[in-house]
Amino acid sequence: MIQTKKEIRPAETGASKTVNYRRRESIKDFMCVVPALVFLIIFVYYPIVHLFKISFTDWNLIRDSYKYVGLKNYKWLFKGSGFDVWLASLKVTLRYTIAEIVITIVGGLLLALLFNHTSKAFNFMRPIVFMPKYIAVATSGVVFIWILHKDYGVLNQALKSLGLKPLPWLVSEKTALKGVLMLTAWRVMGYSMMLYISAMNSISVDYYEAADLDGANGFKKFWYITLPLLSPMTIFILVTTFIASMKVFQSIDVMTGGGPYNATNVMVFWIYSLAFEEFRVDRAAVVSIIFFLILLACTALTLKISEKSVNYDA
Amino acid sequence: MRIKRGIALLLAMILCLAVFTGCGEKGKEDETGGKSKNTEVVDKEDKEDKDESQEGSPYEVTEPITIEWWHAQEAQYAELIDSVVEQFHETDTKVTLEPVYQGSYTELNEKLIAALAADTAPALSVANTPYVAEYGASGVCEVLTPYIEADDFDIDDFGIGLIESSSYDGEPISLPFLISTQVMYYNKDMAEAEGIELPETWDEMDEFMDAAAKVTNGETERFATCVPGWDQWYFETYYRNSGVEIVTSDNTTDLDGSKAMEIAEQFKKWYKEGKIDWCYGTGASTNMRQAFFDGKAFSVMHTSSLYEMYVENCDFEVGMHYYPGADTRYSEVGGCVLLMPAKNDQKVKNAAWEAMKFLMSKDVNMQWADGSGYMPTRKSVLETEEAEAFLEKKPAFQAVFDNLDNIKPRIQHPAYPALSKIWLDSMAKAIIEDADMTATMEEAAKLINEALADY
Repeated sequence: MIQTKKEIRPAETGASKTVNYRRRESIKDFMCVVPALVFLIIFVYYPIVHLFKISFTDWNLIRDSYKYVGLKNYKWLFKGSGFDVWLASLKVTLRYTIAEIVITIVGGLLLALLFNHTSKAFNFMRPIVFMPKYIAVATSGVVFIWILHKDYGVLNQALKSLGLKPLPWLVSEKTALKGVLMLTAWRVMGYSMMLYISAMNSISVDYYEAADLDGANGFKKFWYITLPLLSPMTIFILVTTFIASMKVFQSIDVMTGGGPYNATNVMVFWIYSLAFEEFRVDRAAVVSIIFFLILLACTALTLKISEKSVNYDA
Repeated sequence: MRIKRGIALLLAMILCLAVFTGCGEKGKEDETGGKSKNTEVVDKEDKEDKDESQEGSPYEVTEPITIEWWHAQEAQYAELIDSVVEQFHETDTKVTLEPVYQGSYTELNEKLIAALAADTAPALSVANTPYVAEYGASGVCEVLTPYIEADDFDIDDFGIGLIESSSYDGEPISLPFLISTQVMYYNKDMAEAEGIELPETWDEMDEFMDAAAKVTNGETERFATCVPGWDQWYFETYYRNSGVEIVTSDNTTDLDGSKAMEIAEQFKKWYKEGKIDWCYGTGASTNMRQAFFDGKAFSVMHTSSLYEMYVENCDFEVGMHYYPGADTRYSEVGGCVLLMPAKNDQKVKNAAWEAMKFLMSKDVNMQWADGSGYMPTRKSVLETEEAEAFLEKKPAFQAVFDNLDNIKPRIQHPAYPALSKIWLDSMAKAIIEDADMTATMEEAAKLINEALADY
């Protein structure tokens, strides 16, 4: 009987068996990723779509009801009183981001060059430099508030002892962002140092031996061998630091609260203030969406550029 | 490939459907609205309950229930809170009250908002007084009128200023729990030794500044006073007492008006002369306190709830002076109110009301005041022996007790958080960074008017 059935299905050749097998495998594969996909949909994509919806309402998060207001919130951001604050906040965020990228890459690279030795002393010192990354920002922020205090702070005492004028680090709009960046530098440089050291160790010694034979000095070896072969790592640090620093919040919240006079009012802190201090979740949603699009565009652009200019030999 | 596309499309459709189904549900809620819906439900249940039995409260707790009470009182108040909660449990109650510390008032507000959105609100919560307006406008709090009426709860004992502070739109939506007001703390030893008299009116401030400040060759050795520029609550009273309408009846601000400019310019003048410190930015509160402890400031403007903190940290006698007045001599309510989120079901609200009644009762009112540094809120307890003992222990509080009827509610406006930030930033910029006061305040008024226009 079974034999007969097989005989009346001439289409089921070896090729169609392969197709069926592949289809079954595809479904199986897909089912394996379904749990992760469901998780992503619930906790990532759904909130994004929901955020988009909120941006067209007048919801304040605590009210049960809301009504759709069309493009009112977008008009507030681009044509109303929100624009100046948004522009100022974007400028502050970009200034912070550029500074953090420079600190992370330049500082990390210099530290990596300094600590890329295998002696016991360096093995001991490396984790010490790396450790700040794992100290909670809230804790280190409080310590830095004390260090940067205009009257009792250690930094100003040091400046005074050197005959320099003490500065009102966190209370002047000219110095507040620099104060926050000091904490950032202390936290991030050790991390990028470790990344650079691991990348340096993966560069083949053959290149350096060949350079030695050609009579290259230390600087030339660094400039023509180390630096280009570190470019994948540099791009990785650049992209991750860019995304992380554009979203800076905790250090600002702890150290300056966005002040003084909005001098450190970075985008995420502004979004937080709109939502939780002014109860304007509708406006916070609009700012979040525009900021999300900016981040997306910048990240895509960075990756595009990196494809063309990175040496992946390492 | 087709299957993958099909499943992806299906998931995307489910996602969109889920979002817009959500919209529909909210839309339905639109028709009833948060606050009125809850009130209606309560009223309806009231009537049904009253029909069933004419005796007892319709909000009676009939079976054992455990509820949470979110508060913002730090570790030093834990013993007091535990003691009062224990006294509540010793009464004939079926309610088990679990106090939960949720951080500062700001943190508690964030958590409460998140809990309300997630339908996991506590049965009872405190809230800093500035949040009352927005909570009221959004229907966060249960309207307490039916509860008060059903149980004959003596709300008038709190005094009109405190009732208004905890009400919205004429309805009590919370009760005044731990209440404070603005005062001037001063160095009493210094005042007696140097014969410095505290100002009773704004006009006497100039004279007071000259007497209390010590400025030599442009260098300040001692400030006459420190103004907490980090929170407009501490200086807005001077404006209001001079007749400045911070929010006018036509929903604009008068902060760029002539009277307001006069006060702002006066503060700036004192600051430039080195007679006052305008405390603003990171660590401003700590700096101000330290200046007072160290004798670098004769007085500070702060909240009455910090009296014990000042007494404990100063090696001199601390005096408390009620703010000087102008056309009027009012101060404003600070501290926190106690509220019941309206979203909870009626059983939870009944339990919350029972606990609330106890926490706000005459029996424990003076205990809160004595143990926390806040002031007693019930007028009736001021005539008791406990109150006399309290004044003997904290005689400086006489200044506040004498002015209980002059403590008025804060300005209740949903745009007030936005307004406050613009105002205090502008004041600091004009005073500390020496920006032109007129131009700065005109710009601030423009931004404030835009914020007000949203409501």
